[in-house]
Amino acid sequence: MAPVSMKKADILVALILVPISLYVFYESGKWPKEALIGAPTLIPWGVATCLLFAAGILLVKALSGRALTLAGKLAGADRRRIIGAALLAGAYVFIVARLGFIITTFFFLLFFGLVLGERRWLNLILFAAVTPVAIYVIFSTILNVPLPPGLFR
Amino acid sequence: MVDLALLAKGFATVLSGYNLLALIMGSFMGIIIGAIPGLTATMGIALLVPFTFGMNPITGIVMLLGIYTGAIYGGGIASILIKTPGTPAAAATVFDGYPMAQKGMAGKAIGIATVASGIGGTFTALCLTFFAPILANFALRFSAPEYFALAVFGLSVTVTLAGRSPLKGFISGAVGLLIAMVGLDPIGGFPRFTFGMVELTGGFSFVPMLIGLFALSEGFRQVETILTAPKVKAVLTEILPKLRELKGLSVTFIRSCVIGLIVGITPAIGAETSCFVSYSEAKRTSKHPELFGTGILEGVAAPQTAENASTGGDMLPMLTLGIPGDAATAVLMGALTIHNLQPGPLLFRDHSELVHQIFGGMIVANFMFVILGLTFARFFARVINIDRRCLVPMIFIACMVGSYSINNVLYDLATCVFFGFLGYLMIRYDYPVSPMVLAQILGAMMESNFRRSLVMSRGDPSILVTRPIALTILILAAFTTITAIRRQRRALRAQAGMQ
Repeated sequence: MAPVSMKKADILVALILVPISLYVFYESGKWPKEALIGAPTLIPWGVATCLLFAAGILLVKALSGRALTLAGKLAGADRRRIIGAALLAGAYVFIVARLGFIITTFFFLLFFGLVLGERRWLNLILFAAVTPVAIYVIFSTILNVPLPPGLFR
Repeated sequence: MVDLALLAKGFATVLSGYNLLALIMGSFMGIIIGAIPGLTATMGIALLVPFTFGMNPITGIVMLLGIYTGAIYGGGIASILIKTPGTPAAAATVFDGYPMAQKGMAGKAIGIATVASGIGGTFTALCLTFFAPILANFALRFSAPEYFALAVFGLSVTVTLAGRSPLKGFISGAVGLLIAMVGLDPIGGFPRFTFGMVELTGGFSFVPMLIGLFALSEGFRQVETILTAPKVKAVLTEILPKLRELKGLSVTFIRSCVIGLIVGITPAIGAETSCFVSYSEAKRTSKHPELFGTGILEGVAAPQTAENASTGGDMLPMLTLGIPGDAATAVLMGALTIHNLQPGPLLFRDHSELVHQIFGGMIVANFMFVILGLTFARFFARVINIDRRCLVPMIFIACMVGSYSINNVLYDLATCVFFGFLGYLMIRYDYPVSPMVLAQILGAMMESNFRRSLVMSRGDPSILVTRPIALTILILAAFTTITAIRRQRRALRAQAGMQ
């Protein structure tokens, strides 16, 4: 794979860091400043200033062609797997409280296996079915840690 | 000084029933985690911390120590068998370990690696046992200005020594400092950067964030490279090393132990650095340096000894000063905090019995992985062939379940997933993750002690530079930062010159 410049990524990071630093100045400006509580704005302002400075250097380096390189670009099947994994993990967070651990994890493992290229359906369904039940039993009975019951409330 | 009676009692506690079982399980899991490329010791500890909540503090801690030491050692197995380090700490073992496997000596390589790791780890566990109480006693003299200076020193080393780019290490550390400020002000009690969210008044949940940054992010990386995992084909014979072979390596063991200890003690650098330093030194001082890289015992013994020797060194600043030696000990700190144990000199004063149990646990853990490694070498070799399409989803589920199980709130699960994806993006685009985590721990320490110092001196900042110990540490921090930046600029210029 041909090395790829991180120029675009570095510019994006620099553009994200600038508003974050400015927000730190804005919010910490509203804090109380009594000496008895040890100058609470000093360190946040110091960190935000350093971050602004660093973002500036990053931007200048990226624009002047001195960004570091990546071994290869994330593309094609690799990118689709990553996006699929991220979407599944995000959906898991939203759905687990509603449907419960066992049902959500079953579908998570099923779809995740498909994302990773598993096409042996019997193995996939067995793995997706047995794993959440086993984990639920271990957590509920041995570790005494409740997992979201969802529909089984 | 170490209390020998308490130490004996500590050994007795660690070797008794449930604790010993936890240690064996931890070592076993640690070796498996280390042996599988892509899974790290830090990840293993982060994943298993939530599962230790319901345990007695010492039971949970010895299990995590077993994982820590076992995983650092286990990385060498993959280095030898498939030319891919199981953990970053085992990278230097590839140079001679894999050639030995190619010559049909895989079993001998693994045997030497196992014993070497055990020697290194035991040496520094003993150093930890005898030196930690002395350092903790000295640290009792520290006040807010000294702790501020220590935090600055730790931060300076953390951000300058991580990754290819000091600038990106600095950005990672600075973002970590900002993350540490989210929540209630430690002295004034007013909310900071909470955006009105009740969940953020306590800051970001630390352990779910650790699980996300160190474990889930690796899960995403495994998703990226899932199709390229190599398989083990070697047959293991003659695993147990001969006594004369070990005697012939005695100088290598001693030198590598010292290197591992010194590197381990330095905050933010650990086994990943010590293995290379030790290998380079072994080659430089050898009568036959041309043999290094062709498959010789010394080439395996040197890095393996140093990498496990780093573990005791990394534990030393963490236990005595509350400054993590590396990312793995940062997570161990999180585990101690969950059991209401704050690392630092007061831990030695108020929980002396537990501290000696930890010493006992470290020493026994280093024997345990040697016994397990030599006995089950063939099993661990086969574990490397585990189907990643089963393993990776299990990593995701373990991360998410582990995060949820801490407080039974979905907010923790969301924190884990958010930081998991952020951690993956950071690794992908060369922003080291360790400075962000270490900066959160050290940043909180730096800020609270800075402000306490100002309160002590009624607003006069000269208190930070007029106390001799604090001033010495600050000068050391400045010197370390300047030296590290100059060294890295030289290395980058040399690299650019070669291209």
